[in-house]
Amino acid sequence: MKAFITSLSLGLLLSGSAGAQQATRTEPVEGIRDNGTGYHALVKARVVTAPGQALDNATIVIRNGLIQSVQAGGAPPAGARVWDLTGHTVYAGFIDAHADLGRDSVPRGGDVGPTHWNPQVRAWFSTTANLQDDANRRKGLRSQGFGAALVVPKRGIFRGSAAVVSLGDAGARDRILRPDVAQSIGFQSSFELGGRYPNSSMGVIALMKQTFMDAEWYKRAWTTYETSGRAFLPPETSEALKALEGAVAGAQPVIFETRSEEEILRGQALAKQFKLNAWYRGNGEEYRIVDVLKASKAPLFIPLNFPDAPNVGNPEASLNASLGELRHWYLAPTNAGQLATAGVEFAITSDGLTSLNDFLPNLRAAVARGLSSDAALAALTTTPARYLGIDRTHGTIAAGKVANLVVAKGDLFAREADIRDVWVHGVAYGVTRPAQIDPRGTWTVASSDQWGFEARLVLEGTVNRLRGYLDVAPGRDNAQGARIDLESATVIAETGRLEVRFNGEKLGYEGRALLAGSVTGDQFFGWTSLPNGANPSFRGTRTAPFTGDAVGTVAVNVPKLDLPFIRPMMDYGVAAPPQQPAAVFVRNATVWTQGTQGKLEGADVLIRAGKIAEVGKGLRAPAGATVIDGTGKHVTPGMIDPHIHSGVSDVNETGATIVPEVYMGDVITHNNIDMYRQLAGGLTTAMIKHGSANPIGGENVIVKMRWGSLPEALKLEGGTRTVKFALGENPKRCCYEGRYPRSRMGTQEIIRDHFLAARDYRREWQEWEKTKKGLPPRRDLRMDAILDILDQKLLISSHGYRADEFLALIRLAEEFGFKVQAIQHGVEAYKIATELAASGVAAAVWSDWGGFKMEAYDATKYNVRILMEAGVTVSLHSDNAQIASRMNWEAGKLLRTGLTEEQALTTVTLNAAKLLAIQDRVGSLEPGKDADFVVWSGNPLSQFTKAEQTWVDGRRYFSLEEDAVRRVEVEKERRQLIQAVLSVSGSQQRAATSGRN
Amino acid sequence: MHAHQQKAMTTSTALRFSRLLAAVASGLVASQPLALSAQVRMTVPPQSERTALRGATIHTVTNGVIQNGTIIFEAGKIVSVGANLAIPAGTKIVDVTGKHIYPGLIDAYSTVGISEIGAVDMSNDVNEVGDFNPNVRTDVAVNAESRHIGTSRSQGVLTTLTTPGGGLISGMSSAMALEGWSWEEMSLESAAALNVNWPDPSQRGGGRGGRGGGGGPEGNRATYEERVQQLKNYFAEARAYRDAVAAGEQVRTDARYMAMIPALDRKIPVVVSASGTSQINDAITWAKQENLRLIIRGGDDAIHVAARLKAENIPVILTSTMDAPNRAHEGYDAAYSRAAQLHKAGVKFAISGGSGSLYTDRLPYEAGVAVAFGLPEEEAIKAVTINAAEFMGLADRLGSLEVGKQATFLITTGTPIDMTSDILQAYIQGRELDMNDIQKHFFEKYMEKVRQKLKIIS
Repeated sequence: MKAFITSLSLGLLLSGSAGAQQATRTEPVEGIRDNGTGYHALVKARVVTAPGQALDNATIVIRNGLIQSVQAGGAPPAGARVWDLTGHTVYAGFIDAHADLGRDSVPRGGDVGPTHWNPQVRAWFSTTANLQDDANRRKGLRSQGFGAALVVPKRGIFRGSAAVVSLGDAGARDRILRPDVAQSIGFQSSFELGGRYPNSSMGVIALMKQTFMDAEWYKRAWTTYETSGRAFLPPETSEALKALEGAVAGAQPVIFETRSEEEILRGQALAKQFKLNAWYRGNGEEYRIVDVLKASKAPLFIPLNFPDAPNVGNPEASLNASLGELRHWYLAPTNAGQLATAGVEFAITSDGLTSLNDFLPNLRAAVARGLSSDAALAALTTTPARYLGIDRTHGTIAAGKVANLVVAKGDLFAREADIRDVWVHGVAYGVTRPAQIDPRGTWTVASSDQWGFEARLVLEGTVNRLRGYLDVAPGRDNAQGARIDLESATVIAETGRLEVRFNGEKLGYEGRALLAGSVTGDQFFGWTSLPNGANPSFRGTRTAPFTGDAVGTVAVNVPKLDLPFIRPMMDYGVAAPPQQPAAVFVRNATVWTQGTQGKLEGADVLIRAGKIAEVGKGLRAPAGATVIDGTGKHVTPGMIDPHIHSGVSDVNETGATIVPEVYMGDVITHNNIDMYRQLAGGLTTAMIKHGSANPIGGENVIVKMRWGSLPEALKLEGGTRTVKFALGENPKRCCYEGRYPRSRMGTQEIIRDHFLAARDYRREWQEWEKTKKGLPPRRDLRMDAILDILDQKLLISSHGYRADEFLALIRLAEEFGFKVQAIQHGVEAYKIATELAASGVAAAVWSDWGGFKMEAYDATKYNVRILMEAGVTVSLHSDNAQIASRMNWEAGKLLRTGLTEEQALTTVTLNAAKLLAIQDRVGSLEPGKDADFVVWSGNPLSQFTKAEQTWVDGRRYFSLEEDAVRRVEVEKERRQLIQAVLSVSGSQQRAATSGRN
Repeated sequence: MHAHQQKAMTTSTALRFSRLLAAVASGLVASQPLALSAQVRMTVPPQSERTALRGATIHTVTNGVIQNGTIIFEAGKIVSVGANLAIPAGTKIVDVTGKHIYPGLIDAYSTVGISEIGAVDMSNDVNEVGDFNPNVRTDVAVNAESRHIGTSRSQGVLTTLTTPGGGLISGMSSAMALEGWSWEEMSLESAAALNVNWPDPSQRGGGRGGRGGGGGPEGNRATYEERVQQLKNYFAEARAYRDAVAAGEQVRTDARYMAMIPALDRKIPVVVSASGTSQINDAITWAKQENLRLIIRGGDDAIHVAARLKAENIPVILTSTMDAPNRAHEGYDAAYSRAAQLHKAGVKFAISGGSGSLYTDRLPYEAGVAVAFGLPEEEAIKAVTINAAEFMGLADRLGSLEVGKQATFLITTGTPIDMTSDILQAYIQGRELDMNDIQKHFFEKYMEKVRQKLKIIS
């Protein structure tokens, strides 16, 4: 149905000179001056002066753009234009705290001048100075009730400063309310600005960190220069870094525009590190981290972007719908309500919607789904006014405030009341034209010509959003008669016409039937167009008036479901991470300690407070301990995989060749079903690695499989810092034409050159520290990382295949006086087993991968065996989310190369821990280590065995029993949600929002 | 028994007693002349001498397990198998007491011999250009020197259905014995099965493009429905061609339609790659209309079609028993338990390596995993032996240890589908294989380097 009969621009008709005194205007008037009085009285309205405060039958007097008075009752002053608003409700004008007005200026060919080396850093861009917002967008925002907005630039990572503007149609000079209020920051590059780096989520965060640090340095450098009496050449000029001065000093807020719950957490981490005054544009997933947001006082602007319903239209499609997407469809409209209930303060923004016209319907849906009208109003008025620093002038209806008002035909939140006018600075902008006819009610419609038909037409809803049905009497083409729901019924206000469309199927026609006519009082004349080409004309008479509400009410149309909070908010999510019993006792199992005690039959394991306390035979279980009967079972340390890529938002930063400044730990995501599966297969610790596009890639992160935790809690506390290097085919074939290197020779040289560069960087710093002369050096995160590599604080974990390339890297490192911690993949590691052993380099390899590319052709399953024989610390790795979930079988495959069982298992436990230099924490069942262990149905190296329980930190994160329960829950919820989707009609599946009564 | 196998056992034993290199080295050096280790994999002559293997636990697959049994084979075929067999005079007797004998494993879906290095295009001969290639047969492209032949044999896979890919109709799988000097000597059935890639239903709807099923260039813009129709057209044309020839009409020969005749006549199966429920259902409907011997390959969602598969007696070749689940809500073991579920539902199935030539050597584990998740072990063995043989028309020669069948089997320390046991020796058509392979070759060569560098050569 046609959503609105949209506005004619009443504003132009009524504009007058809202508040401007001629003596304060800079612009001369061309032609005849336009001088309305700007003096208005809005009478007989219900006025909601502030959230929770209303006056009935009130009068608002507006003069020169400001509210002169507001009072219950009252009489309009003489001389004011009187607006009779009987039956209307007036609210303070809405404030959009994060509006996209659609136009950032980018010169052809990119930005010019001394801005920043990276085109994604446009902090110098001022929305104020470049205000050229789109009149149609302003009109669109007004049609949803907004009178003021924070206009935010949208391009790049550092996007520039946002300004609070008035959404009237006055000229740009009359609309700035507060210039350069905050810096806007986004989590992705806009490549139309040029450049390649960064092109990953972790690269973006690395650039943010570097830029904040540079902004601090920039100020110091210039101060040093000026106070030195300009004794040396000046530092570089960067308008972008200069513009960030206030932000890094905590004076100017920064707004992080987020796209996911994770990005809010990432913004918070940055804000903490750089002591930023951070604001957040949310993303609709806030309900998943209410606990985190509750602890934060940062301004939060949430969008009303509800997802479309997942496709469940046929059995195959419904099989594909995950609980995660179904839940989000159902819960997204409850986001605002959940936040409000939890006491999290927020403003609501129109940003993030595909169509602005969805705003009010979605707002009403949010109200129907748990947000109180008062909270909704506060999120649109008082809260954003305070955030944006315009609360003295905006946000409520009170004498002395700017005359920004929303006039609605009733309760805007709980009813489908149309907005009639929006007032901005005392100027009324018409939004909805009052309808001239009201065709609602019951009509008898009959045709007396040769096609003759008779039907009852029932029209309900609101005049602007009619709905209804047609009861067709039995006739020539339909023996039984039929009830047909109308597809649309539209009033054309200007001409008094009514147009109706319906599907002719039930009448035996293939196609749509149209019916149109003119309504005068209770009479209706018109003709029809049937799919068979017939055009019967008809005459209708209203037989009963419409008796329902004058304004449609909003009702929840989705069934009420009990969907308890789970984290992650997806399939197999949990209410909370498992409890840690004070003591756990495993009795009478075959215990593979992988430590000095070896493999023990009929042994016990005692765990206290998440740590292994004792392993041995005949131990006594402490009172109250959680006891596991290990009879017939095997118990091993939790398995460790030193090479996965699951559980992060991105894997490769390919925008630059050398990127050790990027950190995988910045982009962990807990919405990761692979983690649950990995736990189910006995994996408890893994290193998430950067990809292999770069000779020197990013810093890796070691995580534990703490399913149900947020990203930060997944990190292994104090875990070893390692950096990805990559040799061979991947770095030399990557990324773009002409990138250096294109050979294994060049790969070694670009690494060497960066080692040398880092040494130079260190020398410059040391000299300055000694003399304090000249410009202060700048901290370079890339060089800092390489220095950490040279200093063995950041250990090399290098991807590669061939023996030659590893040998070259090891010798290169030795030339610089340090050692490579580990090589990974190492398909040809066996060829240099003795060299690896002599240099103390560990190797993580596959059990039986190979042959998939040239450099993997010399693979042998005996790789581990040879390396072990030569004395190399060798572990297995997966490089694959699924294989990571069954590393015991990977280890089992080694049995066929002659390894003992304990040797085979050490490649996925203790040796993997050693390779990661975390063997003090994990890898074996020895007193003092973390209680990460797996209970197996039998020999863990057998293909016929499966994991029954997986414990991390003495907490049971997986068991077959709980898994069985969760499967039932997942299926039950999916079934309910699929039914919920099916229960709402097609046009309403857009969101689990609301329907109309 | 071959020296290589003794080596394997010796070194294993050494390692089990000690991680000390010296012990390993002495074990190796004592048993393994260095000259021999330079050879990667020798092709051996046909069986020339009647042979009896005595004392083993014989897993016939079709006729139960024989304890302390004997198997006698001559000229490449099994002549008798049982307990307490009288061994005719002049028979070479090998004592395999304590060992197990299983039929050689059959990979019903492999690219061994036609794909060497994944990312090196020139080493791959899997996909012919275009949508419609029923006439191509893989056997003529099999490289008898492929490294993957030796490594697959070492894990017990002695027969592959080497299968082309791509297009809508990809061509013929060839049944290959993994021993022989040339493809000609290896080929058991040149045209064992016709392969069809069922179109992708996610391309459904109003002609708005998207990929077709198989990726042939001319099909790139077609919808699901159009692709299915295209497939029907190929078969209709082939049938017309066959009927015209049968009626004695003068027709110009068409190599492609000609090649499809055995499939139309139900002499060979049509293997349809299909994983989703609608794909499988639509393929069944189609194959019934066409009166074909249908086999579903892939079958990820076959359990949702189980009743129909069972009723129509259509077997499934599972290709991904160790994969991740396809959907977040599925159990973590969705793929692992697929075989057990089909078994419970009464659907016939085989398990294939699934990952192409590079990983045909993982076939035993693809079967073994099903056991951990509920499939009886003997059913898992069948899934990689007799079932594959039956589906592919090889059951008269392979798949079980029965008189008259080829002497193609494994001597093991236990079940071949679990890594806790070792494959000691394999026979193909009575030939006692050289069990060395490129990977063992590298092992020997680089263990020698370790010895040299650590200067402990005895």
